[in-house]
Amino acid sequence: MAALPRRIIKETQRLMQEPVPGISAVPDETNARYFHVIVTGPEDSPFEGGLFKLELFLPEDYPMSAPKVRFITKIYHPNIDRLGRICLDILKDKWSPALQIRTVLLSIQALLSAPNPDDPLANDVAELWKINESEAIRNAKEWTRRYAMDN
Amino acid sequence: MSGMECNSDMECSDSDCGDANYEDYYSNQIWDSVPDNDIDSNQQLRELEITAFDCLRVEDVERLLNENVELLSSNLKITPSLAKLFLYENKWSLQDILMKYKDDTLKITTDVTMNSLKFTDISCNDHLTELNCLVCFSLLSLEKFNALNCGHFFCKDCWCIHFETQIAQGISTGISCMAKDCTNLAPEDFVLSNVTKPALRERYQLFVFRDYVKSHPQLRFCPGPNCQVIIRSKELKAKRVICSICKTEFCFRCGMDYHAPTDCNTIKKWLTKCADDSETANYISAHTKDCPKCHICIEKNGGCNHMQCYNCKHEFCWMCLGDWKTHGSEYYECSRYKENPNIAHESVHAQAREALKKYLHYYERWENHSKSLKLEEQTLEEIKLRIHKKVMDASGTWIDWQHLFEAASLLARCRYTLQYTYPYAYYMESGSRKELFEYQQAQLEAEIENLSWKIERAETTDRGDLENQMDIAEKRRITLLKDFLNV
Repeated sequence: MAALPRRIIKETQRLMQEPVPGISAVPDETNARYFHVIVTGPEDSPFEGGLFKLELFLPEDYPMSAPKVRFITKIYHPNIDRLGRICLDILKDKWSPALQIRTVLLSIQALLSAPNPDDPLANDVAELWKINESEAIRNAKEWTRRYAMDN
Repeated sequence: MSGMECNSDMECSDSDCGDANYEDYYSNQIWDSVPDNDIDSNQQLRELEITAFDCLRVEDVERLLNENVELLSSNLKITPSLAKLFLYENKWSLQDILMKYKDDTLKITTDVTMNSLKFTDISCNDHLTELNCLVCFSLLSLEKFNALNCGHFFCKDCWCIHFETQIAQGISTGISCMAKDCTNLAPEDFVLSNVTKPALRERYQLFVFRDYVKSHPQLRFCPGPNCQVIIRSKELKAKRVICSICKTEFCFRCGMDYHAPTDCNTIKKWLTKCADDSETANYISAHTKDCPKCHICIEKNGGCNHMQCYNCKHEFCWMCLGDWKTHGSEYYECSRYKENPNIAHESVHAQAREALKKYLHYYERWENHSKSLKLEEQTLEEIKLRIHKKVMDASGTWIDWQHLFEAASLLARCRYTLQYTYPYAYYMESGSRKELFEYQQAQLEAEIENLSWKIERAETTDRGDLENQMDIAEKRRITLLKDFLNV
């Protein structure tokens, strides 16, 4: 594999030296483009108290293309499907090369605080979120307790 | 028809030079020859279906676009490249742009200097000799940087990679600034000054041109395979245009085959539906049917739906297999779909079956007329042979048989419209308007089948009857279009 671009090295160093509160991103020992990520559920959200594992991969043309990010921990959220794929504009058409791993992960954390059922990825979840929000939030809390708290 | 043409044709027949010449002479496009016995209906037809248009080459279009670009760039004192971008963003409406310019809502900052650059997050030294590129994180001297008129500076290497990545993905006019949340688009000259690879430059220029044409309300690429022609029409309406080079006919608004009386959205829905369901439909509507009287297997070999069994001479309708006699004298309603009035009370399963039945009713007729159109092309060949034989047998002259070609071309035009009435009817709500539509459709269909029957069997040079039938069929077509076509 080609040498790691300066940009990735710099970003990784900064993530290690000044970690974002509530987020940890550690590069894999064998692949410096693959990160093990843990995001803590934001306060006052149904995901509070949960630790959510994600994987993040920087493709060959990063930062010209967006990183690929996926939830590994199961989560009940209208913009995240059962495979953990995330519906977030900056990971798709709104990607800018000036964005970074840190900003992406902050946006994902913000998405946990503010679900957007009008732009759904998981249709059944979004549907319930719209017609019966309290039940949806109960489900989200239950899933957080069941899948994001045991370790 | 001019006297000159008649003469040359007669010479041709005298010298018995065969088909080569009259092939050319008679092979009119089906829309070309409108019978000139009814000037009023011709004009109505023109207004309804035909739009004025030009067929342009790529060079013509480039010239056309550049004229606008130059006009705008000298008007606003901006670079041609930026002018092009504004035109693209505003659908080539000079007026809109000048209006925005007056209202000061046009983003014109022509001279971006280092003073106007945005320092957010950029760590730089006091003397501003070096900058940190926000994309590659490299500290570089100032002259290595560049920005669009939004003032977001990045190093030239990063711009280059950014553009190359975007072009490789097929993006051209839509390439924007690299800064977060900045939607400022990159003008052509800026992109080209940063991209060096010849293949990518070429690709970019190709894509950009394609986008310009697509964004221009008066221009359409000819949808014909490998055709380079661009059609220009001043009215953006669902009317018919014909490419002068490849002869492809299409609707100017949506680029699909011309589809009156059905509108662009409906025909798209219909064609998608047919593509999804055609396997079933094809399976069900086989290419042969049994004679309803003697049950011998019959393959349809002509366009006419008025069938006569070769075995028992029974005359019947290909569509409904009913006795043709009832079609002739009584009210013709073979084209009408009879909805089950109790459908609301039936089970879901029965409703699904009814829905499929309804679709197949319209689909079979749509397919059938499409096939008939193709078969009638063969009929035209047969007519040519028949005329040749008749003339050789001294049964009339070439001129006496002319009307058969006009009749065939009119038949094709009528059947084409009839074919496209079926998707229209399929998507119509039940009610009096649909009843009226299906009534007119049935009338048109009956007259078309009469005409087809008469053309296939025209034996004498007595043209009165045939021309009468032509007139009736075309009038039915115009009436239907006038009542139901919205362009």
